[in-house]
Amino acid sequence: MDALVIRADGFGKRYGKRQAVSDVSLAVRKGELFGLIGPDGAGKSSLMKAVAGVLRYDSGTLEVFGTDMARDAAAESVKARIGLMPQGLGQNLYGDLSVEENVDFFAKLRLVPDAQARARKEKLLGVTRLADFRARPMKQLSGGMKQKLGLVCTLIHAPELIVLDEPTTGVDPVSRRDFWQILAELVAEQGLSALVSTAYMDEASRFARMALMHEGRVLAQGQPHEILALRAGSVVSCVPQEQVRARAALAANYAQVEALGPCLRVFVPGLAREAAESAVARLVDAAGSATAYDSGEAELEDVFVALLAGSLAPTDAGEAAAVPAAPGKASPAIEAISLARRFGDFVAVSDVSFTVREGEIFGLLGANGAGKTTAIKMLTGILPPSSGGGRIAGVDIARVKSRIGYMSQAFSLYLDLTVSENIRLYAGLYGLSRAERAARLDWVLEMAGLQTLADTLAAELPMGQRQRLALGCALVHRPRVLFLDEPTSGVDPVGRRAFWDVLFKLSRVDGVALLVTTHYMSEAEHCDHLALMFAGRIVADATPQAMKVALEHDLGALYEISGEKALAFAPVLAAAGLGGVSVHGRSLHVLCRDGARLAALASEHGGVRVRARVLTMEDVFVERVRALEKEAGR
Amino acid sequence: MNALSLWCLQLKVMFGKELRQLGRDRVLLAFIVYAFTVDIFLAASGVSLQLKLASTYVEDVDHSSASRELASRFLPPYFQLQGELASERAADAALSSGRAMLVLTVPAGFGEDLARGEPTHVQLQVDTSNAVLGFLAASYAEQIVARFGLETVDAGKTPLPVIENRTRVWFNPNQEDSWFMGISELLNVITIFSVLLPAAAAVREKERGTIEQLLVSPLTPLQILLPKVLSMTLVILAGTALALFGVLRPCFGVPMAGSVPAFFALTALYVFTSAGFGLLAATVARNLAQAGMLTILILAPMLFLSGAWTPPEAMPEWLAVFTHFSPLYYFINISFGLLLKGQTVAALWPSVLGMMALGMAAFAAGLLRFRRQFG
Amino acid sequence: MKMQRVQALAWKEWREIVRDRLFFALAFVVPALLMVLFGYGLSFDVENVPFALIDHDRTAQSRDYGYRFIGSRYFDFKGYAANEADAYDLIAGGEVRAVLVIPPGFGRDLAQGRPAQVQTLIDGTFPNRALTIRGYVGAINAERSLDSAANYLAARSGLPYADVRARLQPVTLEVRYLFNEAVLSIWSLAPKLIMLILMISPPFLTALGVVREKENGSIFNIYASDISRGEFLLGKLAPYVAISCVNSLLLWLMAVGLYRVPFKGDFAFFALASVVYVACTTGVGLVVSVLVRTQIAAMIVTMVITLIPAVLYSGLIIPVTSLSDAASFVAHAMPAMYYADIVVGCFLKGAGVAELWRPLLVLALYACALFAAGYALFSKRPAS
Repeated sequence: MDALVIRADGFGKRYGKRQAVSDVSLAVRKGELFGLIGPDGAGKSSLMKAVAGVLRYDSGTLEVFGTDMARDAAAESVKARIGLMPQGLGQNLYGDLSVEENVDFFAKLRLVPDAQARARKEKLLGVTRLADFRARPMKQLSGGMKQKLGLVCTLIHAPELIVLDEPTTGVDPVSRRDFWQILAELVAEQGLSALVSTAYMDEASRFARMALMHEGRVLAQGQPHEILALRAGSVVSCVPQEQVRARAALAANYAQVEALGPCLRVFVPGLAREAAESAVARLVDAAGSATAYDSGEAELEDVFVALLAGSLAPTDAGEAAAVPAAPGKASPAIEAISLARRFGDFVAVSDVSFTVREGEIFGLLGANGAGKTTAIKMLTGILPPSSGGGRIAGVDIARVKSRIGYMSQAFSLYLDLTVSENIRLYAGLYGLSRAERAARLDWVLEMAGLQTLADTLAAELPMGQRQRLALGCALVHRPRVLFLDEPTSGVDPVGRRAFWDVLFKLSRVDGVALLVTTHYMSEAEHCDHLALMFAGRIVADATPQAMKVALEHDLGALYEISGEKALAFAPVLAAAGLGGVSVHGRSLHVLCRDGARLAALASEHGGVRVRARVLTMEDVFVERVRALEKEAGR
Repeated sequence: MNALSLWCLQLKVMFGKELRQLGRDRVLLAFIVYAFTVDIFLAASGVSLQLKLASTYVEDVDHSSASRELASRFLPPYFQLQGELASERAADAALSSGRAMLVLTVPAGFGEDLARGEPTHVQLQVDTSNAVLGFLAASYAEQIVARFGLETVDAGKTPLPVIENRTRVWFNPNQEDSWFMGISELLNVITIFSVLLPAAAAVREKERGTIEQLLVSPLTPLQILLPKVLSMTLVILAGTALALFGVLRPCFGVPMAGSVPAFFALTALYVFTSAGFGLLAATVARNLAQAGMLTILILAPMLFLSGAWTPPEAMPEWLAVFTHFSPLYYFINISFGLLLKGQTVAALWPSVLGMMALGMAAFAAGLLRFRRQFG
Repeated sequence: MKMQRVQALAWKEWREIVRDRLFFALAFVVPALLMVLFGYGLSFDVENVPFALIDHDRTAQSRDYGYRFIGSRYFDFKGYAANEADAYDLIAGGEVRAVLVIPPGFGRDLAQGRPAQVQTLIDGTFPNRALTIRGYVGAINAERSLDSAANYLAARSGLPYADVRARLQPVTLEVRYLFNEAVLSIWSLAPKLIMLILMISPPFLTALGVVREKENGSIFNIYASDISRGEFLLGKLAPYVAISCVNSLLLWLMAVGLYRVPFKGDFAFFALASVVYVACTTGVGLVVSVLVRTQIAAMIVTMVITLIPAVLYSGLIIPVTSLSDAASFVAHAMPAMYYADIVVGCFLKGAGVAELWRPLLVLALYACALFAAGYALFSKRPAS
């Protein structure tokens, strides 16, 4: 048995009256990449800080390297062996110092001998591809680069245990994959133990073992497949003809029904794939018919939501019988016509054109700095375009302010006002009459499920409710067009699903046009139509399905390689000229056009299994952007 | 709903929002109350530039009745006789250690000379490391000695053609420092908050991202900024009322000779116009801390070039010019005019005009920068 | 104690200060700016007092009397006023600060050997100015009275004027102004301004610098590393102490160069005392910074606890001996007063270690106490 690096037993932490963590028990073994997964406020940070010896705790025992951390002096004695990277993009780094100065400072702080520090610095900067930017001030780095620099600084004293708190939050998918890749390599190579947290459920496969956390408690822990086994079941998706009715029929029977563009995705607990597919088909056929049935194994997010089943009642977002106009035929609600914006010499957006129709959910994707936010600012009339223009419901964008709803990244609520004060404020700003104001207040409270919390300060709401309140404020004046700029960061999966249910109803039943930007590629799946931005331009404009098909056509299908010798298989693949390999926990993902050849290689190598996987939007995004970056670099 | 009533409704809800937010910020409220009460009380009761109980020692070499008589005339409230010193060295020590502010030396033979009608002298050593008080002490001492001399020579003889001066000090007959200090501290506090509060409110919106939400709504930049300034003006007026009626009048008897409503109206105008400087700072600062530092850079010259302590005529000419660019300079004239002198607004119009011109310029610049930044 | 860590921390801190332009300005520009603003803006010299005359008498005597004022360097003659109503308007409007009223019969009374009446009207809005103006007027009147009495008696008795004048003034007061021989208020002000500015600026910078690290989260690097508390405090504060030492030198140069204040004492002693004082006020900033969370709170708290005591209870304006008992107690409990004694002693009195070791000792103890408090309060493993 491996030695334990961290052992927590009945660990608890409270801040004043609020119990942040209660009764957490877990163990991290030597050389293990252990994940803490959960939304904001789940108690991940408190636990991690206590492990790193930078936070006192109230109850239970916590041992790190076999040392009881209860006393300050004991905590102090193990700090030389630990590296901590706290939460926040580059927050632990020094913005005014250059990349190299930051690394040097951490080396000196940790008393690393000069020669050793220099060698390690060169190696780490090389691995993270930061060596070319060593003179650049930290604050001018992109989010992904900041996090990589944070990792370098955390590793400079060769700790035995690293504690990384949400290292990938706020980082675009390409940089995120990059980060995990580097981390996995370093952990494997140096025999490190790592405790890493994330709010992204889809990153769970990166960990050898993990704990799912929610509201200060551990819901489940173990290897990914062990957790998946806790709520066995299948996921069925189909494209129904009458999406709203079909959704209502399914939601009456299953707790987890999601609308993804024209599709519906249902988690069927306890049934194998075929059985689940036919169970769903029976219900859907009763409400019209459907095509393109597909099924697969449940994902971690489904399990997580299922584990929280108590708090999730079947939703009834689609009870209305109204048959909406099919998006393809409806009239255009948002039109961007050759929009362009320059700041000095810098071209933020150039020649961007697209159309969003009534009742359509349109996703705008792109890495940080691709121009998404600038484009939205021009369409909402905050920023005048340098050239080109646009129309909202036929009206020029210079005069549309009272017709649109807008929800910005940080859910811009007034945290020191109560729920109803926030709603009334926006109702007043949009000039609603007294009677209308009262009616819309009730509507928003109901929509957001906040009827009993009308007089609570917004600051006291959990993120999910804050997000719905912000949505309500954006909708208070019944706009026909709604802009959402990264609307779901930091929200737990249950809240996120409830949020998308509301958006679904808005688009399908009320015919509102929605323009969404997001970093969560799992959310991009919800959109009817996507536009991918790169360096200020739109480089792809299609449905999610079409984008996946196109990628498969260009680069091949996605395969997962698992088994005990999976990691050793990576160099074999590289030698065979099959690039694009990424490490997920103990397995590999690879895109390959020649499945037969892959299978042959695998059986030659032995000890590995090859399995086809469904492409996700993240795969599409990462591959497309990497190719574009390579092209731009040349 | 027509355009005007819509405009008013939008202004009203924004105004209510600003007041509510301020009301929920306990720390800031506590600081505001502290500044308008305790701070002003301390300044009014603590600072006095009058000579009070100056520590005086006598080195009496003569030991005559005349020398004792002269020494006994150094009385409170101006002087406090602390005792005798035996030698010149003791006198030096007392002065340089700061124990003594004044040492009066009466030479041997002083009483005899005086009795014979021969001119004589005494020596006063004054510690002028505080120049103002040193000067005052010396001039009071001169008067005591002169009167003592005249009385010994001329007691009860014929009247002489001397000049008898009656001094009338207007507006503050007893020269109460507390009136001046209290009012000028109040004006300082008003100035600080009228710059700081709108800056903080605007930067907070920027910091939390709520500004974007307002910008996509059909509000104009003026409608975003105006309610902030209006609500802060209201809060500052409330603070001013607290200071005037809760501290300055009951504790120090500051007269309110002129029109109190006019004072509040002009204070509102002043707050409104100095807010322009705060808005300027807010357009430059990225966060609350920066806004705080910037307002310090703006406030320090504004406060110390206002002429409250040093009149412009006593400043070097190049610096006196800047006085006219401190809106506080005009506001000081207005406030003292209304609170102490009992002047009418009509008599104060040049100051009102100067204040308005400066304030409008700052406000316009702040609004313009804000518009350019977010327009 | 590992000096390498201390050095690394100090170097990093220095870099950050230098590269943050706003912070850099606060560190070096503001103290100098305050020295200029306070120096000129807090000067109590009352010169060029604008005044007007009302001469109802219009005789040679009254004109001669008026010229005593017009010719004085303390007064700035603004013209004749017609009557008291005009005088009121002039004073209320702030155009003059004093009006001298010579009633009818002034010349006749003096010529006939009778006391003559005059009246001085003074603007009391600024009590300090009013008081000083009274002093000037009294002195000029006394001088003029003596002249006219001596003239009168000399004419009547036939004795020489000088003898009569001497007899009228049997006791002369020889005033010796010590330490500030020219009685310039800037001489007494400038040294104490060094005290004031070094009381405000170091705690402000220190508190901001430490809290900034807390607010943006980089303090976790310190918490998480094995650097000791002592090493951290030393490395973190060293740049701020250094900046303030440079500032104290800068302020000294301004006092000597710009305001021409004589420096009579021992410079080495002054420098030593300044370093101790700066360490002391930096310690104030340290204690504030471990107690608050946000930069804005740090600003407010340091302002409240440093500014008022340094202005009111340090001898800056009022000598500590003239304070009430309670205020005097506060003054003795604060470091500012002790350093005020030292700067004034060093600049004006030519004092050195022999006279001033006691306040220096108090400051040193104060600094030790503050750092001990900061050390005890600072935790590398806080509860929240």
